[in-house]
Amino acid sequence: MHAHIKQRIESTINNIAALPTMPEVATKILNMVNDPEVSFKAVAEELSKDQSMTTNILKLCNSAYFSKGKEITSIERAIVTLGIKEVTNIVMVIAAKPILDKYVIGYDLGKGELWKQGLIVGTLAKKIALQKNRKDIADVVFTGGIIHNIGKTVIAIFVQNTYNDILDEVKKNNITFNEAEKEIMGYSHQEISEKILEKWNFPPVLKAIVRFYAEPDKAPDNFKTEVSIVHIANTISIMAGIGIGSDGLYHQLCKIALDTTKITGPELEELFSKIPELTKQIMEIQ
Amino acid sequence: MNGSLINVGVAQVKTGTQPAVLRTILGSCVGICIYDRMKKIGGLAHILLPNDTANGANPEKFADTAVPYLVQYLLKEGAKKEFLSAKIAGGASMFKFEANVSLGQIGDRNVEEVKKALQKFQIPILEEDTGGNTGRVIDFFLEDGRLKVKAAGQEKIYYKV
Repeated sequence: MHAHIKQRIESTINNIAALPTMPEVATKILNMVNDPEVSFKAVAEELSKDQSMTTNILKLCNSAYFSKGKEITSIERAIVTLGIKEVTNIVMVIAAKPILDKYVIGYDLGKGELWKQGLIVGTLAKKIALQKNRKDIADVVFTGGIIHNIGKTVIAIFVQNTYNDILDEVKKNNITFNEAEKEIMGYSHQEISEKILEKWNFPPVLKAIVRFYAEPDKAPDNFKTEVSIVHIANTISIMAGIGIGSDGLYHQLCKIALDTTKITGPELEELFSKIPELTKQIMEIQ
Repeated sequence: MNGSLINVGVAQVKTGTQPAVLRTILGSCVGICIYDRMKKIGGLAHILLPNDTANGANPEKFADTAVPYLVQYLLKEGAKKEFLSAKIAGGASMFKFEANVSLGQIGDRNVEEVKKALQKFQIPILEEDTGGNTGRVIDFFLEDGRLKVKAAGQEKIYYKV
């Protein structure tokens, strides 16, 4: 392990200002919708305070990806037509884009690749949840899928310096790239993601998704399904080459995720085969 | 790159003439680069799956339909079959995968079917950079048909045409 790299990562994650920021309104809304008592009026009021957020929400509401056909011209209409949860999804897309839509050094991801992967994984995760009759978690796995790789944006610079050592570790010890990140740098990108979500005050389920999406066997039981779904969606995405970087396919598909979600081999293949259509779908919100 | 970089998405076939460069990013998918060395035109098919299950509705997605689709297009543009050659890349697999999940072998199945399809047209495969666990970014240069493969931080260039 490179002790000095570990130290530098530690000072980065302990320096709040060095971590990406989430617009306050997004965190507020995310926590508000978790409260079953919340009124749609309160949500609309909160969103309307942020003019640029409002403009962006209305734009996305009327995109083919989110639209229900009728043109939406106000936040109130958006909530009534699409529902609070879908509007929250839209808020998360808007808030996450500036953080993820960039070139990621170290992982060798061209501009927009990480963002595109987030959208594909979120969309796939939602699809899996609905297919498995888990509408109740469809929105949280959508959000979790979008931000599951967020730690990469922070740790990438250190991967750049240690890439060859990480890859050697993968081959020498037959471990995944993420496990090797931890061995070499003292931290994996998933741990950094968790730190970022802690800073943002995000709910525990999302913290569990970003922390354990690559190793669902270690996820806490109460969130195992959510984590497993994002795990599967991420696997399908990288197999299709979306968001695949210098870490390649040095990852795993965990049996426990298949058992937890009861997803079958043919269902996996079917989801994989839908990637080109999903890529078209997300184009408008990309 | 003379501003002539053309990105090829999943399940897309794109063609061009010199000095265009066709680029795609591959995981388990396979990129099939076919080139006419005399006319200096070529095309790249990025296939996702080995066999057509859409009854021809989406020829660019499958190895067994994308190869004829690309070859016929090139012939129509004036390419001659005797001058065509192919290079293929991709078809990687997940590092660790449940043995009894068929999706795990999709990379190998893709490569196998691509070879069969090219053989049907008697187009020789001159270079092959397939398998393993790395992602690949490939650039296919239509000025001379060379193929650049970037994988795991390393670049290789294949020149044979």
